[in-house]
Amino acid sequence: MAKVNRPKLELAKSIAKVPDVARSEYYVKGHRTCAGCGPAIAYRLACKAAGKNSIFFGPTGCMYVANTSYLCVPWAVPWTHTQITDAGAVASGVAAAYEAMIRKGKYKGDYPGIVVFAGDGGSIDIGLQAMSAAMYRDHDFLFICYDNEAYANTGIQTSPTTPYGANTSFTPPGPVIPEAKKLFPKDAAKLVSEGHPSARFVATASIGYPVDYINKVRKALNAEGATFLHVHAPCPKGWRFDADKTIEIAKLAVETGMFSLWEKEGMTAPYKITYMPKKMKPVKEYMALQERFAHLKPEHIVKMQNFVNAKCAGLGIEAPTPPVA
Amino acid sequence: MPKKFIPGLAAAANAAVQADVDVISSYPIRPYTGLMIQLSQAVANGDLDAEFVHGEGEHGQLAIVHGASLAGARTMTGSSGVGVTYPMEVYSPISGDRCPVQMVIADRTLDPPGDFGQEHTDALSTKDQGWLLGWASLPQEVYDNTLIYYRVGEDPKVLLPQMNCHDGYFVSHIANWVNIGEQSQVDEFLPPYKAQRPLDPLRPVGHGPQIYANQGPALEATRFNAIWGAREVIQQAVKEYNEIFKRDVDPFVELYHMDDAEIAIFIQGCHAHTCKYAIDDLRKEGVKIGMVRPKWIRPFPSPEVAEALSKCKAVGVVETNNSFGASGYAGQLTPEVCAALVKGAVKVDKVPQVASFMAGLGGHPVKIEQFKFMAEILAKGAKGQFDKPTYWVDLECEVEM
Amino acid sequence: MFDTKKLQVPIPAHLEIPEGGVVESPKPDGEQDQFPSGGWRILRSVIDQERCTKCLTCWLACPEPCIELAEDRSVSIDLKYCKGCGCCANVCPVQCISRVPESDFKGDVEFMDEPF
Repeated sequence: MAKVNRPKLELAKSIAKVPDVARSEYYVKGHRTCAGCGPAIAYRLACKAAGKNSIFFGPTGCMYVANTSYLCVPWAVPWTHTQITDAGAVASGVAAAYEAMIRKGKYKGDYPGIVVFAGDGGSIDIGLQAMSAAMYRDHDFLFICYDNEAYANTGIQTSPTTPYGANTSFTPPGPVIPEAKKLFPKDAAKLVSEGHPSARFVATASIGYPVDYINKVRKALNAEGATFLHVHAPCPKGWRFDADKTIEIAKLAVETGMFSLWEKEGMTAPYKITYMPKKMKPVKEYMALQERFAHLKPEHIVKMQNFVNAKCAGLGIEAPTPPVA
Repeated sequence: MPKKFIPGLAAAANAAVQADVDVISSYPIRPYTGLMIQLSQAVANGDLDAEFVHGEGEHGQLAIVHGASLAGARTMTGSSGVGVTYPMEVYSPISGDRCPVQMVIADRTLDPPGDFGQEHTDALSTKDQGWLLGWASLPQEVYDNTLIYYRVGEDPKVLLPQMNCHDGYFVSHIANWVNIGEQSQVDEFLPPYKAQRPLDPLRPVGHGPQIYANQGPALEATRFNAIWGAREVIQQAVKEYNEIFKRDVDPFVELYHMDDAEIAIFIQGCHAHTCKYAIDDLRKEGVKIGMVRPKWIRPFPSPEVAEALSKCKAVGVVETNNSFGASGYAGQLTPEVCAALVKGAVKVDKVPQVASFMAGLGGHPVKIEQFKFMAEILAKGAKGQFDKPTYWVDLECEVEM
Repeated sequence: MFDTKKLQVPIPAHLEIPEGGVVESPKPDGEQDQFPSGGWRILRSVIDQERCTKCLTCWLACPEPCIELAEDRSVSIDLKYCKGCGCCANVCPVQCISRVPESDFKGDVEFMDEPF
């Protein structure tokens, strides 16, 4: 580790306090993301949280193509494109370079905040190898997985975080496969937190809870070593809901247990739930708002509810309402 | 400094330490692994201050040095065989991003099946991706090339990554004498790497946004211009190298008995030295035969190759590589030589007959008898025409190993 | 011997591209004015400043971000960039943001001459 001081980033106590610690925008307006794009909100808040002394990495995906069309970048901090396969590795290289250059006196500035902003595919599908290796090697960096639950940029195809039953262009519903998608999703943050001893801060976040998210980005950057954040970022186009409902859907995901908010400070540390809804809601309320689930039958909803109940139980969260059989 | 009797991988490691590399990415694969073993030892002993990053695979290795180079570090990585073809995805991004990383390659045959022997197909298959590419033929040359390639690749007029290749086992593992320069000589020859627009919060830039389709040709033309502009830089760098290290390195090709050669063998890599022994024998018998050994494949030294070979009546290109289904030939170098000789591209008065000799495949050494077999075929070809474009010397002239 | 200098390709000035495709970053709190995304808007969000409590929930919800935050913590929408997604209206705790058809407002915002 480079023995160099990195100015610690302050946390915010509430939305009202955010301008006191993170006023400026480092992801600026004038980009081609869809109206109401969840990942764009996630990117904006991550850049705001990371601040001036950071370098961002954008593997191929919506947050690359939509943001940089054409020959322009909306990031007021240094940024580079990477292959969808290798964001973890490229960031590792930058982290190693700064360690070496600072130690050898070839770079006189502070050690930068190094932040990967990868989609679900670029994090735990095609990008899994590079991400896992970077976490294992304990580079001083933060890997953020923005999860819009599909390969969205190529026209909404299934990814390992696409929920059971979701209609995507590689999992269309039909008489042969009435539920459209039969497989249940990988859990990105658990995958990292359970098996990587150097992952010293792993957390889930949601754009529905922006202060919690901003603070988790800062806690991660303040931790000197490998850190991981899984941020839930609904996609109006892919999930088929009206563009104004992005934040509402993000909150409903947490209130139904489809997505849970926790943080974990090391492989052997306990899961700490950072937001517990007062009363959990049944998953069908969440699914009813998204046309990607419109084809499902009651038996499929039951399967989803059971999956969510088990997931929540595993985290020690009170299960949402069990389904009516 | 006294000469060292070391194999090619140790020579590259020596040069890397003297070049003060900042970031190294490793992954084991035969036969280049020894380079990384040496470098990890150098780092552990404090001989080299660098980050030694254990890549998760060869694709990861390349991506790691890509990032490190974007940040402004001098980097080294390496591989062999399928480890060279696995990162194919990232070669063009690294070249297009103008990151002068260096990859040391000890050749190995490509699968299938497993074959630990060496062929040049691994690195030759990447030749269209925009890297500087060349072969050393002895450990001394591996040492020289490591330093020269950094100097050329990092030059602001070039800014291209380099593949520093040599024959697996024959050069990587067999020791030979190497003049190791003094640190002061290395420092004089090779200035520190200065990235033009690195990823640095103090000077924010964006690397690699999407472009319009009509911007593609301009972007690609600049790379084309850079790799051909590298010739001037190579010339200058080798001149300085020879002055500082008191050596006599050829910048583009090695010529052997080409002044009055009527037939010639075009061959890269270490088997060229065996070829020279065959040529010595044949010359005693009055055969006017010579050899051209290219030091670069990218940029291809067309002017030097054309000038040397155009005086010949017949040329044989030794191919220790494969190109299945290429027109008439079975290797990747013959078409390059033919293109250099074709009327119109270069002013050549009479184009020689060109044949391809598949030799050394699977990792065989190429023996003196086999070069003499090639010379016989060339002599017949010089009189008229070859009876076929490609000769599988390994199969038509089997020798005892 | 042929002169490889003759191989150099001249690049027309209007197609020139920065070396390696590296571009300047915008300034913090800045904008990418080559793409005024407000041209996409069908519904315009209108803030009732009298009822606004300056809670900043809409400011944090905007994906662009095109909600300007003044010194006194009041908010206003930059119509040059607002895509009209309506997230601000959706999250406002006092529902003081209404969404009005853009066609009700004639010509008060300048966009690009041609669609992108």
